[in-house]
Amino acid sequence: MAFVLTLAFVNGCATVISKMINYRCTKVLGTNNGSLVNYVVASILSLGLLFVSSRFNIDFYSFAEAPWWMYLGGAFGIVAFIISMITLSHLKVMESTILLLVGQLTAGILFDTFMFHNISLKKILGIIMVAAGIIWDNKVSASTKPADPQPLEKAESSADHI
Amino acid sequence: MYALFTLLAGACQSAMVSLNGMISNYLGMFGMSLAVHLIGGALLILYMKTFTHEKLKITGMPWYLYSAGFFGIFLVVTSSYCISILGVSFMTCISVTGQLVISAVIDHFGWFGVPQISFNRKRIPCFALILAGLIILNLS
Repeated sequence: MAFVLTLAFVNGCATVISKMINYRCTKVLGTNNGSLVNYVVASILSLGLLFVSSRFNIDFYSFAEAPWWMYLGGAFGIVAFIISMITLSHLKVMESTILLLVGQLTAGILFDTFMFHNISLKKILGIIMVAAGIIWDNKVSASTKPADPQPLEKAESSADHI
Repeated sequence: MYALFTLLAGACQSAMVSLNGMISNYLGMFGMSLAVHLIGGALLILYMKTFTHEKLKITGMPWYLYSAGFFGIFLVVTSSYCISILGVSFMTCISVTGQLVISAVIDHFGWFGVPQISFNRKRIPCFALILAGLIILNLS
């Protein structure tokens, strides 16, 4: 359990570093091309890893066996990316960070309830406390920061969460 | 209106990680990563060609920026693995906490060339509240 918890935490750390890299890519190539790099490189690398991990014997049958709607994950990721790119310029950084978080957690609770069946009142209480802490922290940070927000931060709240 | 759409974007992210977790039961971790990135990339190209009419260009960056793809794989693989054990909402809570902590550390030390911003002690009670929430989540 401790391993999974640590891995989840490291996932968060890697998310920030990945967003900083993505942000620099978009500075060089523009918003969409800069994000496309991530997809192209990741596709090629994944294919390589898939070949090696399956010892050059990929089970293509399993790709056909998976229900079609499970493939929509990538599509949802792109929809999230495009929406947050468009709305970002119309909202304050803090607003969009909090809205993204609330959307994520609300949907997360719904998926946990109806698809994974592992939700409890205690769990919801914990989630609300974490969300409240994060929103509170955002307000504290915003009130003590220089008035002009760093552009880097703006990108950090927007980059794709894939 | 923009606020509503941003909420929706957050929900899409949760939908994405849930679906990724499920499909990795069929395709394995790397198969899942391949499917997700191929489909995402194809849709992004479609969007760029139909709506923004941009030329595709992914060359001409310093080499280390291409590590973005490595991080992309690491993130989808670890998040779908963690979700299969912790559930979506618990995983999201820990991951966002990790983001907050590492951002504070990066700002405090001014790593990666970001402007140095010392840690603000007023944030400690917020972190304590988050930690308390995580402990409750872990006990549930």
